[in-house]
Amino acid sequence: MANTKTDEKLQKIAKDLLESGEVSLIIGYTKGSNPYRMRPLFITKAEEAGKLSFSSHAVQDLAVFLKKPEVKKFGKIGIIVKGCDEKAVNALIQEYQVSRDNIKIIGVECNGVIKQNLADKCETNVSESTVYDKCLICEEHIPVIYDFLAESEEPKLVLSGNVKPYSGIEKLESMSAEEKNAFWAQEFDKCIKCYACRQACPLCYCSRCIVEKNMPQWIDTNSEETGNAQWNLIRAYHLSGRCIGCGECERACPVNIPLMLINEKMAKDVYNMFGYKSGLDINAKPVFGVFSESDFNDFIK
Amino acid sequence: MEDKDVKKESQNHTDVKIERGNPGDPRIIAFVCNWCTYSGADLAGTSRMKYSDNVRVIKLPCTGRIDPLFIVEAFKKGAKGVLVSGCHPGDCHYTSGNYHSRRKYATFRDLLGYLGVDLDRVEFSWVSASEGNKWVSIINEFTDKIKSLPGKSTDIFTKK
Repeated sequence: MANTKTDEKLQKIAKDLLESGEVSLIIGYTKGSNPYRMRPLFITKAEEAGKLSFSSHAVQDLAVFLKKPEVKKFGKIGIIVKGCDEKAVNALIQEYQVSRDNIKIIGVECNGVIKQNLADKCETNVSESTVYDKCLICEEHIPVIYDFLAESEEPKLVLSGNVKPYSGIEKLESMSAEEKNAFWAQEFDKCIKCYACRQACPLCYCSRCIVEKNMPQWIDTNSEETGNAQWNLIRAYHLSGRCIGCGECERACPVNIPLMLINEKMAKDVYNMFGYKSGLDINAKPVFGVFSESDFNDFIK
Repeated sequence: MEDKDVKKESQNHTDVKIERGNPGDPRIIAFVCNWCTYSGADLAGTSRMKYSDNVRVIKLPCTGRIDPLFIVEAFKKGAKGVLVSGCHPGDCHYTSGNYHSRRKYATFRDLLGYLGVDLDRVEFSWVSASEGNKWVSIINEFTDKIKSLPGKSTDIFTKK
């Protein structure tokens, strides 16, 4: 496939940045082994910039690499991000994991990315029924913060409202405790404790995760009912008010646990209670790092 | 102590264990802060007030120290109800521990409910050092509530 104008712009930005020495590493996408897959690319030399590309198959959230020591050692880094991924960069800046001065954000306008299971069946059409749920509720097709921007030439995503994003949440909310219990017991039963959700998450950056702490052992490490439920609950809790909804955990999950139904629900609750959305403002304090005297108090006797 | 006494002692110990497994005796775990609620419970005790003996009190420095994992752990170990109690807003010994924990618990409670835990099984309260009466009534009401729950009310943390 030939380079699109977006690709050319990305390549030019990357080339300039590497040539001028403003950054020593650029993380971006390149064409994968088949035309329906994109893969992450790390470049350190200006002449490699031609490999960069972007399309509606670029599903990965590259911000996940910012937490890796191998990447951190490069110092100044340029990163190509979609609107959703950029929110992860913001959240990392908010939590002092990345310094704004050390990162050049190369934003790309994104009109939705195609679900990978459909892309594997050669789907190329960006439409309501082929993109991820996160794209349907996306308000940041152009990243919130960027140093450079590559505009998209693809047509805007048209929403008819026929496909309801995260419809499972409402369904679950209307269920009784017993039914919810049965639903999640069945879902968590599938969990094999591979921790792919954690590895794929740009905001799970603890060098020692709670599940690895064994004095005391809080979470059973074997893959069985009680430990699975504990793990998934605690991960969801640790991401409440932080998750930016990139959906990488759910995409990475080998047994298809609908993790985004939990993360989105928590994001919604945190917004309703504290009016806070994660990853939109790099100067805002994380929602659980602050409090207000007039906080939600109804449930306390 | 003579051998006979030791035997008697261990016999008693076994009896207690059997009693613990009794379904008619739901166990309630109360995580309380050192400065307000624990003193409140202490006041209830020293004033010789009677309240339900289903509750087991675990004292921690502050509600801010009570990690939601503690609640999960209590459920996992078989507790029927969990109470978290601390200083009233504005009264925290550490200035803001209870404000932070209030935010955490508002969210965590939602998450528990969403994952299918009966929210009647978790309770939060503010009890000050002078509110022995409030402590007694909270414990008694909560115990009644737990006792009235359907026997098979399970959660995802208990083995089926």
